[in-house]
This record gives sequence, structure tokens and C-alpha cells, in this order.
Amino acid sequence: MLLIHCPYCDEKRPEIEFAYGGEAHIARPLDPSALSDEEWETYLFIRSNARGRHHERWRHIHGCGRFFNAVRDTVTDKFETTYKAGEERR
Amino acid sequence: MSSLSVSTSPLPDEPFAADGVRVSRSAALQRYSLRARDPAKLAAVVGRELPGRIGGVTDGIAQLGPDEFLALLPVGTQLPSGEEEPVSVVDISSRAVGITVEGEGAAALIMSGCPLDLDRMAPGQATRTIYETVEMVLVRESETRFHIEVWRSFAPWLWQSLRLSAE
Ligand SMILES: [Zn+2]
Repeated sequence: MLLIHCPYCDEKRPEIEFAYGGEAHIARPLDPSALSDEEWETYLFIRSNARGRHHERWRHIHGCGRFFNAVRDTVTDKFETTYKAGEERR
Repeated sequence: MSSLSVSTSPLPDEPFAADGVRVSRSAALQRYSLRARDPAKLAAVVGRELPGRIGGVTDGIAQLGPDEFLALLPVGTQLPSGEEEPVSVVDISSRAVGITVEGEGAAALIMSGCPLDLDRMAPGQATRTIYETVEMVLVRESETRFHIEVWRSFAPWLWQSLRLSAE
């Protein structure tokens, strides 16, 4: 079983307590109406789809309930680190 | 409101027992969901001490997350609602029902469907977790006694699963 370190609970918990939340550090545009269709498309759909080191959001949904960020290797499925939402990209 | 808000249980009256474990319906409780970004403000509103740490339990109030607490209190206990304060105090007495699992085999029975390593959960700790696909809040009251809080619509399924695992 894969264990994921929740930065809020500060312990490793079983993967099935968590939900994946897509790529991390994608800021919602402050003024969506000012964007062109291409820019809006980029915000909504275009992701880095990294092979290797990937920044992503997870939620400890069946635990403390919080969203946080993780760096996971998409090839090995190993978690490099996890950190609280709002903290600097690692 | 307090008498109406604690309704009858969807679980059978009769407990079941098997091989070092006994599973029974818990007595009715007054339940509150408590939320606040600043737990100190919440503690002031409800006039009670809070655990101060995720997983801790103080006088019936468990800390589930950084800003989330679950109060399991005797029926009839009323907490102030904290109007105009940046807190949320909501009576959720009817949302969940309690199941008591006790005996030498209690931890093993829960681990039949819960992925947590309960050898690492000390008495007096509480956490939200999952049993197969059903979410629950697990409170370890002692080495051999657990209290499970489960949403009432999931409760018959969880009861049945525990019964099948125990057999
Ligand atoms: Zn957590």
C-alpha cells in the first residue's frame, strides 16, 4: 500500500484516504473576461503532463479534509515531498 | 429542538459478539460540527478547551483537521452558536450514529476494512478515516474499545460488514 505524508496531520497515511486533485500551482486568472479564448483554454485544459517530477494537488479527503501539494515522480510513483497549500513551490 | 434532533438509530438493538469482540449500537449523542480558522475564537465561543492538535480529543471534542472539530456530547448539551463570530457551530446530531467495538479483537476487526495501522493509534486519539468505501470517524477510547461515528445511511452496511468480518 502506498503511504502519503499529509503535511497537516504530519503523518504517513494510506493512499485510499486521499483524492488526487490535478496539477498544482495553477492560479485562477483574476479577471477571466479579459482573457482571449486561447488564454482561457490554456488555463482550463493545458497541463505540463510531466514525465518525472510533477507538482500536484492532493486532498486528505477521508482524514483532515485539507488540500495540499506534492511532488511525485510520474515514472516511479514515488513521492519526493508534500507541503501545505499556499507554500512556495518546491 | 434537542429532543427532535436526536432520532432513532438505523442499527439493530441487539449487539453481536464473536471471538474476542463485541459490537453494539452506541447510546444517542449530541453532535456538533465545529469550524474555525482560529481555534482560540472557537474555544472562547463554546467555552471549552480544544485539543490543540489534529487527532487529539479533549472532553468529548475531537480535532479532525486544522480548522475542524467534532463534539460528541451527552444528549441535551447545547453549545452557543457564536453568531457574528468567525466560527461555525452546527448541530449534526442526526447525521451520524455510533457503533461501539470492544474486546481483545476490536482493533483487528476494524483493521479488516480500515487501512490504518491501529497499533500506532494511542488511546484517546480520534481521526476521520475509511472502512472499505465508507467514511467514518474512529475514536480509540481505550486499548480494547473503539467508538465509530458513521453517517446513518452508511451505518447498516458498515454494521453488516463488521458482522461478516467478525464471523
Ligand atoms: Zn491530513
